[in-house]
Amino acid sequence: MITAQRLTKKFGDISAVIDLTLSVAPGEFVFLTGPSGSGKTTFLRLITRDLRPDSGSLVVNNHDLAKLKNKDLPVLRREIGTVFQDFKLLADRNIWENVALPLEVRHLPKDQVDKAVKIALELVGLTSRTSLFPAQLSGGELQRAGLARAIVGKPKLILADEPTGNLDPKTARTIVKLLKDIHAELKTTILMATHNADIVNLYSQRVVSLDKGKLVHDNPKGKYE
Amino acid sequence: MSSHLARAASRIRRSPYQTTAAVSIMTMTLFLACAFFLLAAGSQAILRYFETRPQVNAFFTTDYTPSPGQVEKVKSQLVATGKVDSVKFVSKDDALTIYKELNENDPLLLEAVTAQMLPASIEITAKNPADLKPLADSLKSVEGVADVRYAEDIVGRLSKWTSSVRAIGVSLVSIHIFITFTIIMLIIGIKVANRRDEIALLQLVGATPGYIAAPFIWEGLLYGLSGAVIAWSIAYLVLLYSTGFLVGFLAGIPILPIPVVFMLEVLAGTIALGALVGGLGGLLAVRRYLKA
Repeated sequence: MITAQRLTKKFGDISAVIDLTLSVAPGEFVFLTGPSGSGKTTFLRLITRDLRPDSGSLVVNNHDLAKLKNKDLPVLRREIGTVFQDFKLLADRNIWENVALPLEVRHLPKDQVDKAVKIALELVGLTSRTSLFPAQLSGGELQRAGLARAIVGKPKLILADEPTGNLDPKTARTIVKLLKDIHAELKTTILMATHNADIVNLYSQRVVSLDKGKLVHDNPKGKYE
Repeated sequence: MSSHLARAASRIRRSPYQTTAAVSIMTMTLFLACAFFLLAAGSQAILRYFETRPQVNAFFTTDYTPSPGQVEKVKSQLVATGKVDSVKFVSKDDALTIYKELNENDPLLLEAVTAQMLPASIEITAKNPADLKPLADSLKSVEGVADVRYAEDIVGRLSKWTSSVRAIGVSLVSIHIFITFTIIMLIIGIKVANRRDEIALLQLVGATPGYIAAPFIWEGLLYGLSGAVIAWSIAYLVLLYSTGFLVGFLAGIPILPIPVVFMLEVLAGTIALGALVGGLGGLLAVRRYLKA
C-alpha cells in the first residue's frame, strides 16, 4: 500500500523527513507518533503528493509518486481519504454537501452520490445533522463529518492527521473507535498521525515513531514512546 | 455544468459591490466597442453607396442663373462625349423644393431660406466611374460654375474618415478591453484568494483543475454576458432615438433604419467579446492556484 525508500524532505535548512524507509501493507492500521515537528504531517503530505520529496522514492497504491504525472494526481487522491485536525469543512456548505464533495468532483450520478453519503453519515452517526452548517455543530460532530467525507468515496487508504487534536478526551476516543470500526468493516488501510499517548496505548496496534524526521521505532503491537 | 453555473451565480449574488464594478466596466467597454463598430459599419455603408453612384455635381454661383440655352448647350456637349448616362439640370426653384423636402420637419430652417440663396446645378451620372474626373474637369470651365463635386472626391474623403474611425476605435477599445480584463482578473482573483483553502481541499479530494476553475470561469462569462446585453441595449436605444435626426442628416443615403438581423449579429459579437474577456480573466485569476 505504502512503500517509502530513503525518503527525505527539507524546508530550506530544516530537514522535516530524513532517510525514511517504511512499508505499510494493505488493510493495516498504523499509528504514526512523535512530538510536534517530528515530520508526521510532512510524511502524510508526501503521500498525497501535496509535497514532493527531495530524494528517495515513495509508492502509494501502486503509484510511483516520482513518476506520477500532474494530470493523474486526482486519480491518486481519489484513492485516499484524509481527516484533518481542524476538520477543513467548507463553511458555506451544509454537512450533506461537505460529505458529498469527494463524489461531486467525480461527476457521479446524483442517486449514487445520495446513496453513498447516506451510508457514510449513518456509519458516523450524523444522519440527524445533514442539513446543518459546520458553524452549527460541535467539535466531535465536525470531526465525524470529516470522517464521513474521508470514507464516502470508499478510499483504499485513510490518512488521519491528528484527528483528535482539537477534541476532548472522551470525544477523541469516540472518533478513534469510529476509525477502528471503519477499519474493521471496510478493511481500509489507515495511517493515523497522533501524539495522544492515551489513545495509542488503548489499542494494541502497529506504532511507527518519528523524531526530528527520523524513524526511531516501528513496533507491530507497540505503545506510545 | 449547471452546478458550476449555480455556484458562480451564488458567488456573484454574495458580492454585490464587486459585481457592480465588474459589470459596469464591462458595460462601458462593450458599449464603446458597439458604438465604434456601428460607426465604422455606417461609414463603410455610406462609402459603398457613393462608390456605386458615379455622379458629378456642378454648382453654379448663387448669384448666377444659367439661361435655358446655356443649359442645353452644356447638356449636348456632355452627351456628345459618350461618357454620360444622364444629365439633369436642377434650377434654383428645384433646389428649394429639394431643400424643403429634406427639412420638412424644421420650420425654422424653411423660413430662413429662399430660392435665390441656393445654387442651380447640373447633375451628371457617368457610365463609368473612371470618367468622373475628366467630366468634372470639363465642367469647371463652364461659365458661372463655382464648384464641382464628384463621387471620387467624396469617396476619398470618406475612406480617410472610415480609416480614422476604425483606427481610433480599435485603439480605444483595445485599451479599454485591457483595463477591463485586468479589473475582472483582479476581482475574481480576490475571490480565488478568499477561497484558497477550499481550492486546496478540492485538490486533496481529487478535483481536477477544470472542476476547480469552472465556477470562476463561469463568473467571468456571466460578467461578460451581462455587460454585453446592457451595452448593446444602450447602443440600440441611442441608435433608435437618433434615427430620425440621422435620416435627415444623411439626406437620402439609404442605410437607416438598421435591419434587426444586423443588430442581432452585433449582439452576438458583443456577447462573444464580453465572454472572451470575462472567461479569460476568470481562468487566469484561478490558474496560479491550480499548479500541482
